[in-house]
Amino acid sequence: MGRTVNVEVIGVNPPCARCDATWKNTEKAVAVVKTEGIDATVKKLDIISKDVIQKYGALVSPALALNGAVKIMGRVPDPNEIARLLRETAS
Amino acid sequence: MRTGILVAFVLFVFAALVYSRIMAYSLAPTMKPADFHGLPVWYIPIAYLIDYFSHGWICLLFAFVVAGLIYEFIPKEAITKYMSGNRVSGYALALATAPFLTVCSCTMVPLFAGVLYAGAGIGPAIAFLLMAPASNILAILLTGEILSWELAGVRIVASVAVALAAGLVISKTPWGRAIEKEHQITASNRTATLELVKPPTDERLWAALKFGGHLGKQILPYFILGLIAVSYVEAYLPEDLVGAYLTGVTGVLVASVIGGPLYTPTLVEIVLGRGLWDLGMSKGALLAWLMGQPYDVANALAVSRIARWKVVLNYMVIAWSGSVIFGLLYGILTGSL
Repeated sequence: MGRTVNVEVIGVNPPCARCDATWKNTEKAVAVVKTEGIDATVKKLDIISKDVIQKYGALVSPALALNGAVKIMGRVPDPNEIARLLRETAS
Repeated sequence: MRTGILVAFVLFVFAALVYSRIMAYSLAPTMKPADFHGLPVWYIPIAYLIDYFSHGWICLLFAFVVAGLIYEFIPKEAITKYMSGNRVSGYALALATAPFLTVCSCTMVPLFAGVLYAGAGIGPAIAFLLMAPASNILAILLTGEILSWELAGVRIVASVAVALAAGLVISKTPWGRAIEKEHQITASNRTATLELVKPPTDERLWAALKFGGHLGKQILPYFILGLIAVSYVEAYLPEDLVGAYLTGVTGVLVASVIGGPLYTPTLVEIVLGRGLWDLGMSKGALLAWLMGQPYDVANALAVSRIARWKVVLNYMVIAWSGSVIFGLLYGILTGSL
């Protein structure tokens, strides 16, 4: 099939509790959609690095981007919601 | 159904505060220093905590619920978009939105970096940075309830003035300009887009309350430790010592110096300020004490990773002078120096 989604979790470094929670929920969601044939690669990005700001502008942490589009900002999504977004993006 | 329960809870919290207002029921600790005399040492903090929480729970609950709601429902994408705009709107937005966006300290430094790199430059970035801790929504609500609303208002006005002054001055200095040049990136080659997903209202309400709870969990342990410390200060700090060092011009200077390093983002400074006020600290010194926060050490360290030490020292000096000037002014105007 080869349906791939590029996932970026954007948070602060050193990580704050809410960024950590977002990261863990993302990993859970990725594990769930893997069984459905969606292949997601997850990367952690530092919100204050120039590359991130160049690409996305100013953000509120934690943020989640799928295939280069910021879907969630300033809140912690639960694994179900992330899985739903992954499916939408993959199809 | 779930939405109904959540809305009912929020309404209850608001109603509790309004009711306490109508009944003129004090939400601040009511014990005065004299009440502590004769109490055994171990019992002092317990008596104070009981006294505080029997009055203060409505106020704390309200503060955390409101902070959570505002943070969740504020249109973040619009703000981050306009913050990358030009200078004037950059300053205006930085000053107007900092109090609402920064109840969680982990959003402050990223936004500082965002404003600095992506558009408005060093001036608005510094203004945002100083405004954020000085008058975040939790601090203002508690200042109003525990100290006085007059003081809360003055605190906001003074913070705006100091933040604006610091931003304007630093953006004119050679070292400020150097940082800005080094970091400025052109927003035109931005490749990504914002396509934020809005969850349904009940999920947002729940998220707001959860965030309020998260804030409470983070802040309350320190707040309680702070209250214990305050109870001993009230019980044992002699009134003539406070009268000698925390009133008059000396008082403003001393308060502005010790207010800074003591600051932790835990609202303790408000309760400690209340304790010292009860012991006779002047209103001028109290304002200088509360405004001491923006030049605290932890904050400065985080910022120095992005901007250089020269900029950090620069804004610390401006913030400190601001707290002294406004402390003196407020003291003179209210006749309590």
